[in-house]
Amino acid sequence: MTGSGASVARLNVQGDYLPDTSDPAWERGRKLFVGEAGGRWLATFRQLADAGCLHGALIGYLYRSIEIGHHLGPEGGLALGQTGAVVAKAAGGRSAAALFEVAPRVARLLDRAEPFQNWLDVVADIAALAPESVVPLADHAEGLMAELDVPGFKAWAFTGIRAAGRDPVARFEFFSNADPRARGLRTREGGELAFIDIERPLQFYQGLLWGDHSPLRALSGQAGQGGRRATFDETGIRLPEAFPGVTGARAFDLYKAVVAHAGAHRAFTRVRFPVRRLKPLQVALVSLIEDARVEALAMRRFPGLRRLWLPFHVAETGDDLTAPGLMARLARALIDPEFDDRSAWVQKGRAMFQEREADWHDPEVSRTIGMLLGNDLGQMRVQFNPRTYVVEPPYRDDNAGLWYQDQEPEESEQAEMTEGAASTAANDPEPAEEPDPAPPQSETMPVRPNPRDSDPDAGAGPTALYPEWDYVIGRTHADWTTVVERLPGRGRADEVQKALERNAVAVRKLSGLLSGLRVGRPTRLKRQPEGDRFDLDAVIDARIDLAAGVTPDHRLYARSERRERDISTLVLLDTSQSTADIVPGLGYSVLRVEREAVAILGRAMEDAGDPFAVHAFCSNGRSAVDVTTVKRFEAPFDRLALSRLAGLKPGLSTRMGAAMRHGGRLLQRRASHRRLLLVVTDGEPSDVDVADPRYLIEDARHAVQELAGAGVDTFCVGLDTDGGRTLRRIFGRRNAVSIDRVARLPDRLASIYLRLTQ
Amino acid sequence: MDLSDYRIDSEPYYRPLADEVSLFEAAYAERLPMMLKGPTGCGKTRFIEYMAWKLGRPLVTVACHEDMTGADLVGRFLLDADGTRWHDGPLTLAVRHGAICYLDEIVEARQDTTVLVHPLTDERRVLPIDKLNELVHAHDDFQLVISYNPGYQSVLKDLKESTKQRFGAVDFDYPPAEVEAEIVAHETGLERNRAELLVHIAERSRQLRGHGLDEGASTRSLIYAGRLMAHGTSLEAACRTALVVPLTDDPDLREALSSAIAACV
Repeated sequence: MTGSGASVARLNVQGDYLPDTSDPAWERGRKLFVGEAGGRWLATFRQLADAGCLHGALIGYLYRSIEIGHHLGPEGGLALGQTGAVVAKAAGGRSAAALFEVAPRVARLLDRAEPFQNWLDVVADIAALAPESVVPLADHAEGLMAELDVPGFKAWAFTGIRAAGRDPVARFEFFSNADPRARGLRTREGGELAFIDIERPLQFYQGLLWGDHSPLRALSGQAGQGGRRATFDETGIRLPEAFPGVTGARAFDLYKAVVAHAGAHRAFTRVRFPVRRLKPLQVALVSLIEDARVEALAMRRFPGLRRLWLPFHVAETGDDLTAPGLMARLARALIDPEFDDRSAWVQKGRAMFQEREADWHDPEVSRTIGMLLGNDLGQMRVQFNPRTYVVEPPYRDDNAGLWYQDQEPEESEQAEMTEGAASTAANDPEPAEEPDPAPPQSETMPVRPNPRDSDPDAGAGPTALYPEWDYVIGRTHADWTTVVERLPGRGRADEVQKALERNAVAVRKLSGLLSGLRVGRPTRLKRQPEGDRFDLDAVIDARIDLAAGVTPDHRLYARSERRERDISTLVLLDTSQSTADIVPGLGYSVLRVEREAVAILGRAMEDAGDPFAVHAFCSNGRSAVDVTTVKRFEAPFDRLALSRLAGLKPGLSTRMGAAMRHGGRLLQRRASHRRLLLVVTDGEPSDVDVADPRYLIEDARHAVQELAGAGVDTFCVGLDTDGGRTLRRIFGRRNAVSIDRVARLPDRLASIYLRLTQ
Repeated sequence: MDLSDYRIDSEPYYRPLADEVSLFEAAYAERLPMMLKGPTGCGKTRFIEYMAWKLGRPLVTVACHEDMTGADLVGRFLLDADGTRWHDGPLTLAVRHGAICYLDEIVEARQDTTVLVHPLTDERRVLPIDKLNELVHAHDDFQLVISYNPGYQSVLKDLKESTKQRFGAVDFDYPPAEVEAEIVAHETGLERNRAELLVHIAERSRQLRGHGLDEGASTRSLIYAGRLMAHGTSLEAACRTALVVPLTDDPDLREALSSAIAACV
């Protein structure tokens, strides 16, 4: 690629390749990189060009090396170039350009030459191991380096690379921060505890305290006062991903305090308050009293919660007269009997609250006291800015779940105060599962191609060619069908997650059964010709026979056999147009039922440790058989997989044979004792470019036989198909099952799998 | 054959919840086969011991398990110096001599073993022993009682419908809080308010039934905890030993349980 860029021009007698030599930057550069350093600087351009950098990257280096040189000295600028060359060789010129773009900002954050050099070294290592990920890494580098020091950054990056296995797609997603584990790991490297690290014990804690099994989720978007406070509504509690600056055990206590407090609201704040004409300050104060009220009720049931909440109230008495300060002191006074405050207003608040102890069960108490106290503060001319107000202490929620907007707000202030309430109450019962992954600075970055676009020109995945059987001529057509591997789109995993929760008990039972089978319970075989111990009953019978003069049976032994469970399964889901049909009686589509069934089965298989993969297929003629990978064998069946499952869309046709051959090829590579291809379809094979209905049926049948010859078992679960006979023809009488009521698929799929794999 | 080993001499403590005692007396009067259904550790075995004492009958208990064969129930030939000698199994013992036979956790046994009891639940009340070529007619005082924990149902292990329908059933469950506290206080010697605290903790754990735990803490485990506390162990340590650690190996669950217990105190 050297010298082929449009405006890379040879300049001087040394033959260096320098772009745009008329650019005034050169002057600045020559002043900065003097003497020997100057020579090395000029030589860097050639190295970069040789390594594959084009004009854009070279210009980028020109500007950024000068910027860094001014900040950290010429060596910094040179070091950037060296690393740029390494990166360009490993990952291409565009990756080097991305590195140059972000480097000055990182240099500003790191502020010294040595850590900057260390950072460059880590980037070079990453480029070697994960070349596809340099661009997303650069996109997020500023945010990363704002949170992590260089050793932390290195640890985070390498953990992500290792966790992704050898899978470039997973690595890319990790560095794009799309993978929540990336964020979680990131905060952990920063020393903080992330919500996802302790989500599971918190979920149990919520169940234990409040009998509430609604799922805990992370905040998304701007909810929770910019992600700093938890929020709750009728569907459950959402928590911040991390509390900055809070580490270790204290962080865990903080999260528990959040769950205890928000759970108390869900238990005791039964009905939302209408905002009416309340001013923001009054809204804040009513919320504060309500916080104290539900906590008081909770502490009657769980006295230990006082010890959990109290340490977070750190407000001290003083003379400051700002609303947030006074409110924090009031909050403390209401929970801490030992706390004395100078302010008459705080004392009044506490007295009013205590007086109404007998009425604490009634939410009206909070409105009354809160409004009075709000009036007082108004008369005291205390300033209150609802835009910047954040509820204190940090374990308390943002109070959006307490209110609803019942009329047009009069003042813009009021709108802001209850903005959270209005959006939560009215507009957004089910916000998107995945938070927006792009940090703000990406607005200034050039747009990079999104590998998740389904536009084929944007680069769908690899393709493979497969033969197809022509029953008329009795021969296969070689290289006849093209299977295109598509990267999955993402959907909202909520609905699938809910199905899992609804069926949680069944999932658990199923995985318990599967693990029981896996471990291989010993089964006793009796009356064996050989074994390691006597079968007592057989021995006695033999002795009796001898006494009776009859020849005894020689099978006198018993032994135990452990059945090892060693099976890999690939679930192949039909997502053709017919799966968009609505199931009568359920009100939603066949595809959604299929999704739920696969989610349940998948969760159980995951828990039990059975390796499995999930593909979805549809086709549009023989050269466009799309196979979407929902889950690979090596990947875990986690939220990401669920969101891919949720993102499946119905459409096109059912060229089953090609999809089966493709799945079969993947299964053949598995080293397990048994390999199973489990097909879930709602109809017979068919496609737009095939007129003869029998052709693809016969091809699918042939594919089953090919796979059997290669050691892959197949089984088909047909949904509500008239072609139950057809499926039996394709798969064999005993290897196809028709489920007459689609709604029963989730139950049946799991027990079918169980019976198949015993 | 003398069944005095199986007789219950002193009154076992049993706190009735509803009318189960009189119900069972009526069932025994008719010698109806009975099924006691309920989660583990809620008093089924204690109940049958109490009833056996009250009715003055010996009680032959069999703890059922997966490896149990027909011979384990009915009997087998044993070899001694002179040849073979038949030895009655516990079921046959009870049938011949008029005891109450209690098959505990019968769902654990294999179904081909369980169906051996079917002829005893018919009108004729007979037990065929083909090895002896004998048809044993049940003693007039014989009754068959089984216990069954519905929580452990599964595709692979369940009572056959034909077995279930041969029995009358009584439901057992963890008692209401005040009653459970009374039981715990009685069995452990703890003060009433500490017993109530233990019951409160158990109720929390039962919230996770089906959401991480198969069962919450049983009354029996509360009694264990209470007995430790009566000896001076702290509540936290007693609950850890008797409740948290036996209930689950999952560290997240243990963490949550410990936190919830701390919140209760």
